Amino acid sequence: MPAGAVPDASDALGAHINHDERVVAAAIAALPGIGPQRLRTFIGALGVMSTWHVVRGEVRAPAHIAAVLQHDNLHGVVRRAATSQLLDQMAESLHAGNIRVLLASDAEYPASLRDDFAAPAVLFARGNLAAFTNRRVGIIGTRAASAAGRHFARQLGSDLAQNGVSVVSGLARGIDAAAHRGVISRSADDDDTQRDAPTTTGAPIAVVASGLDVVYPREHAALWQHVAERGVIIGESPPGCAPDAFRFPLRNRILAAVSEILVVVESRATGGSMITVEEAAQRGVTVMAVPGSPHSETSAGTNALISDGAATVCDATDVMVALGLDHHRHAASSDARTRPLPADRVVLDALARRPMTFEQIVAEVNLPLQDVAMSLGRLDAQGWAVVNGGWWEALLAMRAATTV
Amino acid sequence: MFATVRSTTLLGVVGRAVDVEVHVGVGLPGFTIVGQPDEVCRESRDRVRAAFLSRGFAWPNRRITVNLAPSGERKGGAGLDLAIAIAVLIADEQLPPHVAERLAFVAELGLDGSLRSVIGAAPLVAAVRDHRVVVARGNVAAARAAGAADVVAARDLAHVIACLRGDDEWLVDTGSEAAADEAPTPDLADVRGQPVARLALEIAAAGAHHLLLVGPPGAGKSMLARRLPGILPALTDDQALSCTMVHSAAHVSMSTSGRVTRPPFRSPHHSISLVGLIGGGTSAMRPGEISLASEGVLFLDELGEFAPSVLDALRQPLEEGVVHVSRARTTLTFPARFLLVAAANPCPCGAGAPGVCVCDDAARAKYVRRFSGPLLDRFDLRVSVGLPRVDDLVDGGKGETSALVAARVLRARAIAVERNGTVNSTVNGTVNGTVNAKIAVDDLDTVAPLAPAARALLRRELEVGRLSGRGLHRVRRVARTIADLDGAPEVVGESHVATALQLRTGLGVLMGGR
Repeated sequence: MPAGAVPDASDALGAHINHDERVVAAAIAALPGIGPQRLRTFIGALGVMSTWHVVRGEVRAPAHIAAVLQHDNLHGVVRRAATSQLLDQMAESLHAGNIRVLLASDAEYPASLRDDFAAPAVLFARGNLAAFTNRRVGIIGTRAASAAGRHFARQLGSDLAQNGVSVVSGLARGIDAAAHRGVISRSADDDDTQRDAPTTTGAPIAVVASGLDVVYPREHAALWQHVAERGVIIGESPPGCAPDAFRFPLRNRILAAVSEILVVVESRATGGSMITVEEAAQRGVTVMAVPGSPHSETSAGTNALISDGAATVCDATDVMVALGLDHHRHAASSDARTRPLPADRVVLDALARRPMTFEQIVAEVNLPLQDVAMSLGRLDAQGWAVVNGGWWEALLAMRAATTV
Repeated sequence: MFATVRSTTLLGVVGRAVDVEVHVGVGLPGFTIVGQPDEVCRESRDRVRAAFLSRGFAWPNRRITVNLAPSGERKGGAGLDLAIAIAVLIADEQLPPHVAERLAFVAELGLDGSLRSVIGAAPLVAAVRDHRVVVARGNVAAARAAGAADVVAARDLAHVIACLRGDDEWLVDTGSEAAADEAPTPDLADVRGQPVARLALEIAAAGAHHLLLVGPPGAGKSMLARRLPGILPALTDDQALSCTMVHSAAHVSMSTSGRVTRPPFRSPHHSISLVGLIGGGTSAMRPGEISLASEGVLFLDELGEFAPSVLDALRQPLEEGVVHVSRARTTLTFPARFLLVAAANPCPCGAGAPGVCVCDDAARAKYVRRFSGPLLDRFDLRVSVGLPRVDDLVDGGKGETSALVAARVLRARAIAVERNGTVNSTVNGTVNGTVNAKIAVDDLDTVAPLAPAARALLRRELEVGRLSGRGLHRVRRVARTIADLDGAPEVVGESHVATALQLRTGLGVLMGGR
């Protein structure tokens, strides 16, 4: 730590900083009390290096910046935090996490975001930013998704990726993860078949709330890695930043801004997905929703969106048409599952209405218990039903492949 | 000058014969008890002396030393009072030296000289079964329940002495032997609908599989559990005796006769302490709830509310069928061959169903952490119980009676015991696997071979990661029991395995279906 060995006071006026502008920008983003709004104000008015000098008190601030800094003793707080150690630490984290820093002036800064009224002044990215040149569709939904919802999101993600569309999502539990898993499953196929040929699969784009080196939720570590390898993860939180609750609504605005179309797969009447929808509406991004049963809590939000005029999504074709792409070029997703036996059909029909436990199914279909158990075993093996924590759900065919 | 009288003391759930030796000699007047008496036992001095004086016997104003032999073991309880009193009388030559031969005394003395009942009469008396045993009137039934043939009673110290001198007769008949008068076990016919839970109970009873019932409040989980003892096979004589001993030692009676004749059912409240559940205690070691439930059912309602440390302590007894309780001075072994039935809500809000449950992730995660995985893994049967359907409640007829189910259980168990007994693989000298739940892993292929379709079904479960290696063995044992109830074919079929899998739902039932 060469710079850290120098006492803080000595580099106060010398102001020789060993790091480039991007590291300094990351450090400013990491300062306490400076959120996206203030960051935009400061850097927009002063530029990165001057902002650093201002917060360190080395340069007098313009009046409107000074007014902000005086608020709640912000200046004292940030001055204490803006040390050369912070710069070293940022440089190290950015390097270790393979994280790039993008400023709004950079050519690679996503164009759709640069024009946004609440664009992040400093954007962090891990992966290949070329994904932003693709058509982009956001797939979002509740974390507490039904198995059917996750199945749908996965299929939609997979089909869109196959058509060269980049799927934008938030890497949260439930729908978000399912959508990107669908994308990954596609690009994994690419890897197997034609490693050298230019891939036409839409690269995934993830927009996250925490620092790019802070995997949240932790069980998605492998998924993060896959998305970063095949596409890109972006966010405005500096490295090491925890997934604080207030960061998620902020993340949602970025997600809405980079999407051309936003598809809500499952959502309750209120929640994070609805915040994203709100942000999308403010930006003129088309919102589409997947209809669900009126009995299903997890479809209450999407059904409400549809009654408010959102277009429905029953399969990838609906989205492709909305994007104005020629959807006939590519084969629709085919349902390769074996058709269920007539006896199993009874059980599947019952499951299609709502998720049920084994004992609820037995009561509902009025068949011998052992027969129901055998049917469930077969439906599970054929991929028509899935059990999750004792709750069975049907995985019905998408419209394009309704051959059953 | 010197006398020895036979009595007994309680060590956990077993009686130990004790020789009460009394020496009355010259020296300063005094009364000491040696031979590791506990607090209650040491207070004997004051009770015995007061009983002497209030009954008009002369108290020897000399040096009295009482030794409780063997002196290496700790003696507890007030049951030695009468023996000490008699020994003092003989040593002081107020009674002839041979009157107490072939007699044993087990009773507490009141200050007025009356005889009082003691806790644990059955195991106490069992330790001196070859003697004629003198007890308080209230202990006669329990003492006879222990299989002691020659039990007599007396009213008070004066009566005992009169009998010893031959001036009076022992009380032999203390009222008619109270026949089995235990509270009737509730009947399965009261349960409407619930086909899956009923089947799970039947399988649990037939194969001795531990059972976890998960369902919202009001689903009837406790109602179902309480009906399990009614379909268990009757206790053998040995089992009944063992139960009687434990219940007597813990001062818990299932009937006025003190004799346990039916499989016990214990449902401790979730605030129970570790010692209360497992057994132990500081001075007198008492059996815990798991020992009281031995040969019967231990029902833990609201499993998630029990202290995790208490639940973890169940794991060893569940495996071994006994519990070893060690304290600084002693290590005791209590029986713990119980069938564990537990009930839990699916999640904090109780709804469970996806889309209906209103618990957030944090609340759910916190709830699930309350259950230890290793304990949940020991439930062969994990069944979700829903609210009874309105149709069943209003229009449905009565369910099958316990008697019908019990007959099937008995038949299935007989088949299983005969078949599993032929395998006869022994571990540590005990025969393994008389009930299906205890079939050794090595014997599974012999006693529960799988049909090809059943094998394929299990293979898939393993491949998708829903089943662990240990879970596989448990499913196979349950499938064996289902097959035994289903005509007992030699080979376990696909339908048996499919049903066993459905009766062992994922632990996610405790997470509201996520």
